[in-house]
Amino acid sequence: MHGIVKNYGAVRANRGIDLIVGERRVVGLLGENGSGKSTLMKVLFGMIRPDSGRVVFEGKALLDHARVDHTPRRAIAAGIGMIHQHFTLVDAMTVTENVMLGWDQAGVVLRPAAIARRIEEASRTYSLAVNPGDVVAKLSFGQRQRVEIVKAILRGSKLLILDEPTSNLSPPEVAGLLGVIRRLREQGHSVVFISHKLSEVMEICDEVVVLRDGAVSGHVQIADATRESLARMMVERDLSAPIQRRDHTSGAAVLTVEGLSGNISFTVRAGEILAVAGVDGNGQQELLDNLAGVTPARAGRIRLNGIDITRMNVRQRLEAGLAYIPVDRAGTSLVPGFTIADNMAMRDINRPPLAFGPFLNASAVREMTRTRMAAFDIRASSPDVPASSLSGGNQQKIVLAREIGRQPKLLLAFQPTWGLDPGAARFVLDQILLLRDAGAAVLYVSAELEEVMTLGDRIAVMSGGRLSSPVPRRSVDVTQIGMLMAGAA
Amino acid sequence: MLLPDSVGQSTQVAQPVPDRTSERARSALRAVIAVLLAFLVTSVPILLSGKSPLVAYWSLIGGAFGSLDHIAFALNKSTPYVLIAVGIALCFRAGIINIGGEGQVAVGGLATSWFALNAGGPAFLVMILALAGGVAAGAAWAGLAAAIRLTRGVHEVLSTLLLNFIGVLVVSAALNGAMGEPGAGFPQSPLFDESVCLPKLFTGSDLHVGLAIAVIVAVGAQILLWRTRFGFRLRLLGGSRSAADYAGVSFAGGVMSVMLLSGGLAGLAGGIEVLGVHYRLIEGFSQGFGFTAVAVALLAAADPLAVVPAALFFGFLQAGALAMQREVGVPSSLVFVIQGLSIVFALCAMGLDRRRRRV
Repeated sequence: MHGIVKNYGAVRANRGIDLIVGERRVVGLLGENGSGKSTLMKVLFGMIRPDSGRVVFEGKALLDHARVDHTPRRAIAAGIGMIHQHFTLVDAMTVTENVMLGWDQAGVVLRPAAIARRIEEASRTYSLAVNPGDVVAKLSFGQRQRVEIVKAILRGSKLLILDEPTSNLSPPEVAGLLGVIRRLREQGHSVVFISHKLSEVMEICDEVVVLRDGAVSGHVQIADATRESLARMMVERDLSAPIQRRDHTSGAAVLTVEGLSGNISFTVRAGEILAVAGVDGNGQQELLDNLAGVTPARAGRIRLNGIDITRMNVRQRLEAGLAYIPVDRAGTSLVPGFTIADNMAMRDINRPPLAFGPFLNASAVREMTRTRMAAFDIRASSPDVPASSLSGGNQQKIVLAREIGRQPKLLLAFQPTWGLDPGAARFVLDQILLLRDAGAAVLYVSAELEEVMTLGDRIAVMSGGRLSSPVPRRSVDVTQIGMLMAGAA
Repeated sequence: MLLPDSVGQSTQVAQPVPDRTSERARSALRAVIAVLLAFLVTSVPILLSGKSPLVAYWSLIGGAFGSLDHIAFALNKSTPYVLIAVGIALCFRAGIINIGGEGQVAVGGLATSWFALNAGGPAFLVMILALAGGVAAGAAWAGLAAAIRLTRGVHEVLSTLLLNFIGVLVVSAALNGAMGEPGAGFPQSPLFDESVCLPKLFTGSDLHVGLAIAVIVAVGAQILLWRTRFGFRLRLLGGSRSAADYAGVSFAGGVMSVMLLSGGLAGLAGGIEVLGVHYRLIEGFSQGFGFTAVAVALLAAADPLAVVPAALFFGFLQAGALAMQREVGVPSSLVFVIQGLSIVFALCAMGLDRRRRRV
């Protein structure tokens, strides 16, 4: 790709980017959200037309000034495959049917048996462990990703674009995927690996191209790169400074849980972060919703500062000092179509100063929003802008500002850095640590082992609806945690 | 504090997004364009029937605005649309679809008529009592649908729709039975005492006070929706059900209260219709109200204040339709084509706008 330029109105998404991917090379494409990674890859895959620039694949020009009909269909025909973050599979169909779907070479009359054989063959060659007869709905996230990879391989892709492929995988699944990428390289494929996780990029890539503000800010061979140097190229500020955690002894028990859902018991103390690792879908959602009062607890007792809150509703728990950052920003912790001010007020409309009898005190809402926008550095032109127009990082700052700004005694946080670039993620972690240092109790639930290890004063693992007994950070055995997460221990 | 986006290190630049005022201007513009397109397209069948659309539309305008009486007639026609559509708009905002306006109007009119015929006491109090009875009956009718939704999980589209038939038939049954006028030969109640009927806004005009009530209701609903905690909860329910759960807003409470409110307004419309226009209960008096009001609410983009002009448009259109038929020979039902096309174009424009903004 040479000199790719793409402007959206005043926004210069790509400002003359060059990207060269050699044969049998795994090239990492690093950059914060909004740095131009997705735009560049969409140009490569024919999904958007650049303002100028050329794309040459195996010596043939796919896109230059004369030719503007570069489309995904042509990209696939030329041998480029893209695995999107959100899969394009039909849940109700089998793997074979999904592979045949929308594929010219599947023929007018479908021959599922022949296709199934080819899937098995590919699965063996690339050690993908994909079974053609499985219904997609029953497959795990990691397995679905492999189905997408099979699809791309059978369609003859020589270059695969993987868009943030590890963001929803457990550590063992990530290791498996990296193995698959190595096999792809051995078999003569090239890969563009889009990520903002430095450790994975360091592990799998041959070279790294870093984008910042729509331009290439660095291009290094992996042997010459360090995590610190890559991070600096990405954000132009030093993220390598270790997270500050003041040592202090934790205080009295703030949250005490006994026999929740039958078998979950733990405490979280004042000034302490209990970090819970675990692959998504192992009961974390239910645990947090039970604690926050969104769904009623089936069994057990929950106490906050000694008061039994098991039967309290969301409103009463809020008043008791419980704050909650849910995992889903797109419709739970935020209403995208609502303004920043409305989102900021969302959980506090029932108390003064926002409540004024049956009315909502609009000026108090605006004032609070302005104060918190300043305190949490939320970048928007006014409190009346819809949340959907902000970047993911700024959206999460609204949630943080609302939940932390209330000065809670207990914060429940469920993957609050999900989908955020390193700068925004760091901001979230720093804020949570500040809250801990101020004496609040924090229950931090995440699938990111690294985060859990960095943040937790004590660490536990959730697997199959059970919580392992929390271990102080000093005596943590990482292998043991990994085993627990994989459900193997 | 309010840094422009370009100052930050992040390259994500928020697009200038319109606030609520300019949002309202946009949807007004959309509605006007949709209406003009609807008139334009409806010209085709008028032309095909050998008539001039300009002449037809001119007589339509004449019929609607030709004299003070015509205007009063059209305003009276718009009144129930305002009331019902305000309730439906509130439901839309809460993510609830109430298409049971017709049944709620019917039982509201029935209850009002019963009180008007049977209650004793000072005439003014009887009138208030009768209207209150209409509100209660309409609210109960909608509340029934809400209760079925909440306890049995039957979607409110289905239950409100089916309750329409029952409501209309209950009115017929009453008129063919105890409430019918003996010997009238048509299912209608006896005339109410003139003193319990709605007073006129101006002497010598047919325009009754219902319009004033409706406008006050629309303004009140606007305040309710945007300035109160109750309105915030409704908008939250409509914005995202799981966000509402997270904020501790009860789905059941929201659905029930907005349905009671909406049904009550429809019941009030039914009461105003019998006390202000017919002075008696007539079989089929509620016909089409509920569905036209859904169209009004859609054209108004579920904005309670915008419901007023949208309802007036429909009211004047229907008022002028008869003149158009009489004078030019163009069937008055073409007016319904205009109504329908306005909605189609308005919804298309809404969809287009949304898509354009996303890109």
